[in-house]
Amino acid sequence: MSRGTRLRIRGGTVHDPANGVDGAVQDICIEDGRIVASLPDDAPALDARGMIVMAGGVDIHSHIASSSCNHARRLLPEERVPEPAPPGIAGGRSGSMASVPSTFTTGYRYAGLGYTTVFDAAVAPIMARHTHHEMDDTPCIDAGFFTLMGNDEYLLRLVDQGERGRAKDYMAWLLGSVGGYAVKIVNPGGVEAWKTPQRNLTGLDEALGSSKVTPRAILETLADAANGLGLPHPVHIHCNNLGLPGNAKTTLESMQALEGRRAHFTHLQFHCYGEGGGWKSAARDLIAHVNAHPETSVDVGQVMFGPAVSITADGPVGFLLHGTSGKKWVNIDVELETGCGIGPLMYKDKAAVAALQWAIGLELFLLADDPWRVVLSTDHPNGASFMAYPQVIELLMSRARRDEALAQVNQKLLAGSALLDGLGREFTLNEIAIITRAGPARLLGLRHKGHLGVGADADVTIYGSDAHLAQMFSSPRYVFKRGELVVEEGHLRHAPAGRRLYLRPGFDDAVLPGVKRHFDQWGTVQFDHIGVRDLPGAPLEVG
Amino acid sequence: MSTHVVPNVTCLGCGLLCDDVAIALEHGRIGGMAPHCDRGRAWFGDGQVPAKILVKDATVSFDAALAEAIALLRPAEGRALVVLGPGLSTGAVRAGIAIADRLRATVDTATSAGAGEAILAGQRRGRATSTLGEVKNRADLVLFWGADPTATHPRFLERLVAVAGSHVTGERTVVSVRIGDAGGPTSPTLELDEAQEASALAVLRGLVLGRLPAATPEHAALADLAARLASARYVAIVGPGEGRDARSSALRAEGLIALAQALNRPTRCTLISLREGGNRNGIESALSWQAGYPFAVSYATGVPRYDPGERGLHELWRTDAALLLGDWRALDDTALAALAEVPTVVVGPRASDAPFAPAVAIDTGVAGIHEGGVAYRLDDVPLPLTPVVDGARTAAMTITALAEALGPRGAGA
Repeated sequence: MSRGTRLRIRGGTVHDPANGVDGAVQDICIEDGRIVASLPDDAPALDARGMIVMAGGVDIHSHIASSSCNHARRLLPEERVPEPAPPGIAGGRSGSMASVPSTFTTGYRYAGLGYTTVFDAAVAPIMARHTHHEMDDTPCIDAGFFTLMGNDEYLLRLVDQGERGRAKDYMAWLLGSVGGYAVKIVNPGGVEAWKTPQRNLTGLDEALGSSKVTPRAILETLADAANGLGLPHPVHIHCNNLGLPGNAKTTLESMQALEGRRAHFTHLQFHCYGEGGGWKSAARDLIAHVNAHPETSVDVGQVMFGPAVSITADGPVGFLLHGTSGKKWVNIDVELETGCGIGPLMYKDKAAVAALQWAIGLELFLLADDPWRVVLSTDHPNGASFMAYPQVIELLMSRARRDEALAQVNQKLLAGSALLDGLGREFTLNEIAIITRAGPARLLGLRHKGHLGVGADADVTIYGSDAHLAQMFSSPRYVFKRGELVVEEGHLRHAPAGRRLYLRPGFDDAVLPGVKRHFDQWGTVQFDHIGVRDLPGAPLEVG
Repeated sequence: MSTHVVPNVTCLGCGLLCDDVAIALEHGRIGGMAPHCDRGRAWFGDGQVPAKILVKDATVSFDAALAEAIALLRPAEGRALVVLGPGLSTGAVRAGIAIADRLRATVDTATSAGAGEAILAGQRRGRATSTLGEVKNRADLVLFWGADPTATHPRFLERLVAVAGSHVTGERTVVSVRIGDAGGPTSPTLELDEAQEASALAVLRGLVLGRLPAATPEHAALADLAARLASARYVAIVGPGEGRDARSSALRAEGLIALAQALNRPTRCTLISLREGGNRNGIESALSWQAGYPFAVSYATGVPRYDPGERGLHELWRTDAALLLGDWRALDDTALAALAEVPTVVVGPRASDAPFAPAVAIDTGVAGIHEGGVAYRLDDVPLPLTPVVDGARTAAMTITALAEALGPRGAGA
């Protein structure tokens, strides 16, 4: 099927929670790449009786297309597995599968899972041009990225001076210039400290050097600015102290600092370790806050057992992991803004800390009152590959499978875990639809994604009903991207270019002379070359 | 025709990719550049390049040349070699890799012989590096290790060292270590034979990590250097990017990487490798995202396989036809002689001047002079290119046309 044609998906069991549809048998009609209310009776039809119909998956937090990803690819040639071009695809490309797949393979594999929209979660502004290149070579998915700003030197100066209005205008200019979609904060202030003898910031009110800049001030300023600009997605926050025992205190303080403001806290599992010495779960404490604050959302960052790669803008974390593992390590300090740490990881089910991390992720899902605000991620490839999503879904839907897995893992640090208390919750298909597409789309402010209502993008995934849940979610029967058949019976049939998702928010250009002076004085890239021109398509609306 | 100036042009004359260059055009020719730079001036020249299309030295139409190229390359599917040379935009490189994938070719970079060992060292150990702005703004001690950018990267000192840094208080310290004949931009603090280099780097690392006693007389000079490095706030080590024989390149690269990583315990450190220009980093970057590997990729079995031990230009005996994209002048004499032994299609700047009598030669412009797009700095920062001289056929369009003419996989011979 090509765009411009029609299709009736007939008689499937539809899970479209954004529109209040929970397992109803009904038709879904597609015309010109959109969902429409109806089609003539003689329109082509696909018999979906007995199958599960959902919107295409939406990944709110992944690392698929950035200079950091590319450094990770280069760092680990030994883990790559060649992957042939999909047969029958005009212009189909070969590639390699690994913790960080090559670009074409990334697009094919996401589509093969029924995902049609993906966001890269961390792109340095001066590396944005690279991300756009990679996304040009990542077919099948609509893609965008979050722009790193939580350690931006110009922004930190404005925070120091209390210039919140100028900070907002600068952020709007920067986001629009590089073609980003949302504002990302990584270890606020801590990455800048990593480049100095201070080396990190560990407390929310710890000052950066002799300035007034603290993680709290950064969070408040950037969150207010993003919300003030009306960005569809609020600040996307990777808190201070990722991966450290006792870090839940910092995480909770960060959430409390932004109470009343929309804010998204990412890969919460990595920030969910309780106080009192040693490693322990703080999932109950953190999820209680999330449950009580509708303005707060999270993605989980589920760990699954097996190889992974740490790719982070959190330079001090990369150094810490290198010191712990002794494995090879890449550190890249990126001028005026951020850092980058990369290293191989291995999560073993017999390792106590890895088992705790695995358990905490599941606790967060299972203790959440509102799945719309606690959505799926593995922080690909940090906690696991996105290819592990079907296994995560199975663990959430089947207590028996979960208990079976729980019995296999190292129990040493699981005392007090809600999992051991017999958490019996089993996610329904509707809840899975929420945490994998409807919820992420809503949190991202993507009005045409994550649902099957009239006017939505015709991104549709159809699963064969299968008692083997991981198998069912690993291999959809059909995937449509804007109405085009992309996957059929587990085989890639078409690999269309995806749409770029980016914003160009308005701002007061009175901010620009100061910004230009800053870049002219301290940058190594001409001010006029910061912006990325000739982006495909048009920016999405703001506000 | 008038005289005018094009501002903010990105120069690919070396790996610095200075993007603040003003190019003066006089009657359609490049008449000057500011700020002046010998490497840059040589790169831009007068902006004139040949515009021939040749099949066996005879002038033909573009379509005829494409047809001949296809006739040579298609039957070589599975036994073809694609060489990616400098002077291409990253967009052109992407199209070139697509051709290699389509032809199930071996694809390599024209400069892998000089750069490969350092890349492999990075794959064994990782890296501690930064973008160039961190050298400028944070490095209070810059160590030039057997590298003098004065000749190879003429504006390195002006742009990054002899300039105020936002986080550098007081004087910036510059230290040079001479390795054999290769000195730095200042009088050497230390002079080493090439044979001493690897062990000296190991000793420095041991001293920095406190695993060697600093008081040993034989290590006195190294101990002094190690102490200076460890007590700086932010160290930039600047080393050679390419060249020398494989064994010494590997040892040097691995030693420098290990030292830079070790220095991140007592202080902070970045290692900057002085890669050459022409978008070398862009080629490796695009290969990495499309195939997963930065060079020496074989698609012969239909999938990318990494084979850095048997690089394309050393394995021409397996090749029925070669496709050289980019500037052939980056190849060494051995490679040029080898290409004379196989039917070769050349698409790129000055293709018609290639000394090995290509079967097909299609002249194109040069990225950053005649065509736009993106090229990568030596620190992997991608920068936009500005075409300053009109008229030349663009490599990106030509390579894309060749890819389209080849058709999809299985299109047959």
